[in-house]
Amino acid sequence: MLRYVLSRLSQAVLVIFVMSFLLFVLIGLMPGDPIENMFEGNPSLTPELIGQMRELYGLDQPITLRYWHWLMAALQGDFGYSSLYSRPVLTVLGPALLQTGKLLALTLMISVPSAIILGALAARKPNGLVDSAIGLFSFAAISMPNFWVSLLLIILFSVNLGWLPASGLPMTSDASFWLELRHLILPVMVLVMFHVGPLIRYVRAAMIETLSADFVRTARAKGLSEGTVIARHAVRNALIPMITVLALSFGHLFSGALVIETIFGMLGMGKTIYDAVGNIDFNLALVGLLLATVVVLISNLLADLAYAYLDPRITL
Amino acid sequence: MELQMAGRDTAPLPAAAATVGSLLEVRDLGVSFATKEGRAQVVTGLNYSIGEGETLGIVGESGCGKTMTSLSLMGLVPPGGRVTGEIRFGGRNLVDQSARDWRSLRGRDIAMIFQEPMTAMNPVMTVGRQIAEVLTVHEGLSTASAFDRAVELLEAVGIPSPNQRARDYPHQLSGGMRQRAMIAMALACKPKLLVADEPTTALDVTIQAQILDLILELQEDTGMSVQFITHNLAVVSELAHRILVMYAGRGVENAPAEKIFDNPLHPYTRGLIATLPDPDRKVDQLFVIPGSLRIQPQRGCRFASRCSLASEICAATEPPMLEVETDHFVACHKVTP
Repeated sequence: MLRYVLSRLSQAVLVIFVMSFLLFVLIGLMPGDPIENMFEGNPSLTPELIGQMRELYGLDQPITLRYWHWLMAALQGDFGYSSLYSRPVLTVLGPALLQTGKLLALTLMISVPSAIILGALAARKPNGLVDSAIGLFSFAAISMPNFWVSLLLIILFSVNLGWLPASGLPMTSDASFWLELRHLILPVMVLVMFHVGPLIRYVRAAMIETLSADFVRTARAKGLSEGTVIARHAVRNALIPMITVLALSFGHLFSGALVIETIFGMLGMGKTIYDAVGNIDFNLALVGLLLATVVVLISNLLADLAYAYLDPRITL
Repeated sequence: MELQMAGRDTAPLPAAAATVGSLLEVRDLGVSFATKEGRAQVVTGLNYSIGEGETLGIVGESGCGKTMTSLSLMGLVPPGGRVTGEIRFGGRNLVDQSARDWRSLRGRDIAMIFQEPMTAMNPVMTVGRQIAEVLTVHEGLSTASAFDRAVELLEAVGIPSPNQRARDYPHQLSGGMRQRAMIAMALACKPKLLVADEPTTALDVTIQAQILDLILELQEDTGMSVQFITHNLAVVSELAHRILVMYAGRGVENAPAEKIFDNPLHPYTRGLIATLPDPDRKVDQLFVIPGSLRIQPQRGCRFASRCSLASEICAATEPPMLEVETDHFVACHKVTP
């Protein structure tokens, strides 16, 4: 178990190295120039001065050498400054990660249990009335673009009813819990819709398959009630393959958060990376994307550990 | 010992001791499924009964309706299936009873063991808990005392170090052990009837013999009745008092086991017995019944297309089940009293 975790972690470190190089090169290939961007519209900037600035920032060096310098600094804990915010990138990304973390944690806490319950209900009588209603809901959730749903919800709850704020969550840490929660309700609703649609379909398919398994027949042959058969025997078996789906959907959810954060004006990871790329903030984009990679790697590792925990046939 | 191990060449089994009161009466049982081409009748007009302490072997090839017959006794015919006729168990008709009545019956009065011990157990629950579950449901035992009972049951079915095995998951047990555990689960509440659906088919031959012995032994201890389903006549010869031969959803011959083996009357039963390899005789090729099983239209004898004796009447009308000799029932136009 410990050995497995250690070997997976060392693999993860390797992946992060490779990713950092790839991202560095890719960001280097982006059109636009950070120096020009920095001094945009400044008429006193001569080509000589630009050259000097490039030299100062090391932008005249070949990209491999630049990567090497960056890597050496990063390994010593120096991830550089954000040109957009004029602050160390970690102080920008820390609060952003926390913000997105809250958003995603709330989303998962709602979407996963509801997907399990709705999927299991739908699987009880395939093509029955309940299944059709749940199917309609999940296909609607899959098909509706999340930015559009966001706008509809803003029109309804913020504009017409005036119940919930559409944006403007203060980034200061003294925002009260309730204030923050009120700001999170709409974005979480949208993300749950975004996440739950496909999940319901997966749970339903897995449950239908499990309910026809021999051991479910055995459970019925014991005289257990249908509820016990489903809850105690079927659900747990059906959920094991769901872990992979969940881990994969996490990356998807992360990217979904980008749109949602932009619409609801929340300075989370998605919005921060988006702004960094748009403003040619090399460092911020690079470290932000790396951080996202780390989060996805960790979620995959947790998924594998959850597998071993839920399925006694798997030993690590 | 009332029951002996008897091959077909050894002394016949004693006739069923307890035909006095029959525990199970199946009358005109039908099982059908809705398909796109209309209703498919899987079992038609089946009649049989099982006395207390008696073992009935139901024999027939794959697809003849044996498994659906067993599942109908448990109320577990898959969704879309319809059961008609009468299943009288302990005086009451099970066919139309409520889901609640079925639940209180299953696992307590009638228990079932299945063909595939590999897939019949929940892979993510310990063996002990799976057995204990029956006891908590039907006997209201606490989880802890049900688990202790489960360990005792595992010991009773001959599983070594039952304390450890009860805490194991199904994949940690061999096929034979798993089938023993399934038997322990089935017998947990001392059922009056055990329905065994090909319980030895998926096992090695040596393990098969052990499982058959175990069922015989437990039957002797508890006096339960057994409905044993198999496509293997050799297996059924070892434990059945009475044999019902099924073909294409119908009963074709029903008699005490020794009559079936000594004097098979239906051409299909004769064919089945002829297919058994005889170790005393060397032959180049084993006997095969020509053709394959098909569910045929309602008219005529279903076996007619494969039968060497078939004549016009066989294709025209369905032969009724008649008592050709004392306590020997056959459904064939060519076999008459």
